[in-house]
Amino acid sequence: MTTGIKRTGSLSNFADRQFHWLALAPACIFLVLLTVYPVLELIAMATSTITFERAREIWRFTPVENFRQLLDDDIFRIALKNTVVFALVSVVIEVCFGIGLAILVSSAGKAKAILRTILIIPILMPPVAIGSMWKLMYSLDFGVLNQAITLIGLPAVNWLGSTSLALLSVVIVDVWHWTPFVFLILLAAVEAIPNDVIEAARIDGASNRSIVFRIIIPLIWPTIVVALFFRTILAFKVFDQIFLLTSGGPGTSTEVVSLHLHKVYFQQNDLGFGSMLSLAVIAATVAFIWVAYRAGRFVRARDA
Amino acid sequence: MKLKALALLLAAGTVIAWAHQAIAEDSFLDVGEQEPITILINASPWYKGFENVVALYEEQTGNKVDLEVTPFDGMLEKARSAVHAGDTSPYDLVNINGTSTVEFYKGGFLEPLNEIDPQFQVPKEVYSFGDSGCWDEAKEFRTCSTGKLMGYSPNGNVQLFYYRADVLKEKGLEVPVTFDDVLTNCKVLQNPPETYGYLQRGEKGDSIYYDFMAYLLSYGGSIEKDAATGDYTVTVNSPEVKAALDKFIEVSRSCGPQNFASLGQGDLIQLMQTGKGQQAHAVVAAFPNFDDPQKSAVVGKINAAVLPKAKADGEPGVAIGNWVLAVPKNVSDDGKKGAIAFSKWFLTYKAQYAYAEGGGIPVREDVFISDLKDKPQFRWMPAYQQEIKYGKQLLGYSEGPAVNQALGLRLNQALIGELSSAAALNQAARDIEAIFKKGGRKTGQIAPLAE
Amino acid sequence: MLDLRGPSRLAAYLLLSLGVFAILAPFLWVFLQSLKYEIDILQGSWIFNPTSFNYADVLYSRRSDFPENVYNSLVVAFLSTVGVLLIGTLAAYSLVHFKSRAAISRLLLGWTLIFNMIPPLTLVGPWYLIFRELGLSGTLTAVVLTHIALNLPMTVWMMMAYFREIPQEIEEAALVDGCTRPVIFMRIALPLAVPGLIAAGVLAFVFSWNEFSVALTLTSRHTATVPVAISRFAQQYEVQYGQMAAASILSTIPALIMMFIGQRFIVRGLTAGAVK
Repeated sequence: MTTGIKRTGSLSNFADRQFHWLALAPACIFLVLLTVYPVLELIAMATSTITFERAREIWRFTPVENFRQLLDDDIFRIALKNTVVFALVSVVIEVCFGIGLAILVSSAGKAKAILRTILIIPILMPPVAIGSMWKLMYSLDFGVLNQAITLIGLPAVNWLGSTSLALLSVVIVDVWHWTPFVFLILLAAVEAIPNDVIEAARIDGASNRSIVFRIIIPLIWPTIVVALFFRTILAFKVFDQIFLLTSGGPGTSTEVVSLHLHKVYFQQNDLGFGSMLSLAVIAATVAFIWVAYRAGRFVRARDA
Repeated sequence: MKLKALALLLAAGTVIAWAHQAIAEDSFLDVGEQEPITILINASPWYKGFENVVALYEEQTGNKVDLEVTPFDGMLEKARSAVHAGDTSPYDLVNINGTSTVEFYKGGFLEPLNEIDPQFQVPKEVYSFGDSGCWDEAKEFRTCSTGKLMGYSPNGNVQLFYYRADVLKEKGLEVPVTFDDVLTNCKVLQNPPETYGYLQRGEKGDSIYYDFMAYLLSYGGSIEKDAATGDYTVTVNSPEVKAALDKFIEVSRSCGPQNFASLGQGDLIQLMQTGKGQQAHAVVAAFPNFDDPQKSAVVGKINAAVLPKAKADGEPGVAIGNWVLAVPKNVSDDGKKGAIAFSKWFLTYKAQYAYAEGGGIPVREDVFISDLKDKPQFRWMPAYQQEIKYGKQLLGYSEGPAVNQALGLRLNQALIGELSSAAALNQAARDIEAIFKKGGRKTGQIAPLAE
Repeated sequence: MLDLRGPSRLAAYLLLSLGVFAILAPFLWVFLQSLKYEIDILQGSWIFNPTSFNYADVLYSRRSDFPENVYNSLVVAFLSTVGVLLIGTLAAYSLVHFKSRAAISRLLLGWTLIFNMIPPLTLVGPWYLIFRELGLSGTLTAVVLTHIALNLPMTVWMMMAYFREIPQEIEEAALVDGCTRPVIFMRIALPLAVPGLIAAGVLAFVFSWNEFSVALTLTSRHTATVPVAISRFAQQYEVQYGQMAAASILSTIPALIMMFIGQRFIVRGLTAGAVK
């Protein structure tokens, strides 16, 4: 790279002119080699019924049957509804908390570095440990949460065992786990705002409140959108914590799409319909993000 | 002439080998020098016992065995990857959960053991766990009378009835024989949140499915009419099953904690170990935990008995949850030979005895009636041995996992009161019929329950 | 950023303490459990005799390969993070700055997003086949490559957002001064995007560190990573809470150290030669 300083030499000249292609090439190669085949395979499977005989796969082309099964799948419908509610509630809370924490930490002066390290601890813990340990904390008889609640004289709460509370309990774990993710992404964006922009506003007499809502949030909006996108995708894929905390119960109160997919694709080894479910999940995620993005733009346009 | 001589020689050799084995009963079986093998095995409470017995095998025979210890949730994935691979399987023996065996048998991924070694036999003392190790390709069913031997169990779990011996004695209560006795006892024992009268799993999915089977089978119910002969008529909404489900719900609601509908294995064992649970039914694998002072506040106070029944003169409902060790087709010849050698050794009395001592659950009846049963830490053995003769393998068809999930949901919905027991069973019957139809079975339904 | 004086300072610190408490308390609680015998964990005791049993069991017991697992995870997470930062940052820079090929850019970004939505369960099978064909099954190389692919979408999108924040005038001025594009990228754009680079790096590291499904299928006993090892404590019939708590604590420490060193490295390496 250092040779590029001089504008002599045909190689560096080439590197200069074609830099955008050269910079893009490794990513393209990677995506072609490692992602195209799985995606094509997924689509092929989604339109087939796959059985095994004599240690061989036998494929039958059955797109209509698979699609009809999808339409007839009541549990998938319930799971999709739960997933949308779960994603909406948890992502909104996480983004709000994340913005708040990012702005507060960026204003915290010397403590910034240590706070950034402490606040990302939840995403460092392995998901299987998060699920198991929270299950212990939610335990009706011995959990630390009910210990605290009964200490102040309230009756123990049936966190995971009641149909009305179970989804909320799962959302709480998700918020604890993933707020740091949003915080980390947004902190970098807040830090990158040039100081003079804010100083100028302050000299104009802007309050902290208006600095946050009129300057910081609009400036970091593109990053908020990225955080929203990826958090939403992760929320649609939520699996470990729900699998470990409730297995989708009681009843269907915490049944989500990835849990249903796990049952069909993995436990029943129904690769064809399982892949059809995967495609349906992807379609639902795209639709959700598109609607959220449009709604966000609409709100911002109205406010501006 | 030459052929005859050869046959004679072979026969003589077999006799000598057999005699040698009989004589050698006192020492460990000599299986000769073998290439190293790798076993895919799950991390489970009994893993330590298996590890110990494998170490003993290495010590006795000088043959090397690698254990690929894998999380329970990763076992199926790893086994599938290994057998689906076109080239040589990285594992010479794979441990397969009972419910998944049909998938592997039917897919043709495993080598019948007698095709590796025509002489290989599972000793008659070893439990067959409802013929889970045999596969009849034509009938598409697990049966040893007409099927081929595909594998054997390194571990067979059933559920036992556990009770606080000290508390029952103090309150002058009998060990319950029927579910009604359970309810009688539980009226005295239930004092939430200090103590709970009877614990059984209500969590959606396999938990409630498996625990409910103790009721369904004992009440004379069934899921399908006769899968062995190909009659997949759904019978899960019969009056017998409804009676079983009503009893199950009654016990859960009146004897369990507030979260009875989300009670899982971990919660149940936690309540027993901490002393809150007074009676319960749970897998035999849980027992060693009760006596471990690091894990339990009730060391030595919990006893095991046969599961409660529908009627005093009836049979207990014993659903088997076992594992099967089998050899993938794509194992190298040396690997197959080594796997058979290990298997022969592992199933001998001495090895099984050592397995039990090391913390495993043995699979030979003669170990259960040996002197071990008189030792306090093996006081569950008589109950196990009594129960295993009623043991049944359920869902022995490729639709098994789907049926298990359908029931696991509908039963849970009935338990939380979202559906009435009749409605839940009728719905389950419709679900299961659809599953069988998709699999191309001869199926149908019986008259639905009045809702 | 904000100028905090008087009551707003108090409110801010109160909120911040609340946030820190909410995030840290469960972690500290897990740490507390790692010092207990299982019966104390199950009973939720607050008064107990602390023990190092769980740590000893995780680290030294015969069936444990935990130090080896940590080593594997460090190698995988480090290499895949370096890889994805290199590839992803270059791609992001290119996509932000060369808008002439809007169609290609949209296709690429859309594709990465869709790819990111695929449930990992359905990716594992094809990847296993690919790496078996390449003879890389069971190796750390395979895990590193898949983790780069998994984290590439997020890295590209994040870095694009950060690069967009950099005022265009700075780079245009440099171009007028006769700097080549690679030099502008290295000396101007990257140093200005350091906070973003750190955030993207930390996340790529964390996701690789905790990834389970792919690592499970592509590794064998001696290449297993930490999440695979920790899952062994969640058994069929019981969760070994004490060991799991100890292993979780043990696995966060090397990750924290590694990220701390990584951040300093990025900050020093890039800001040292920066044209401010």
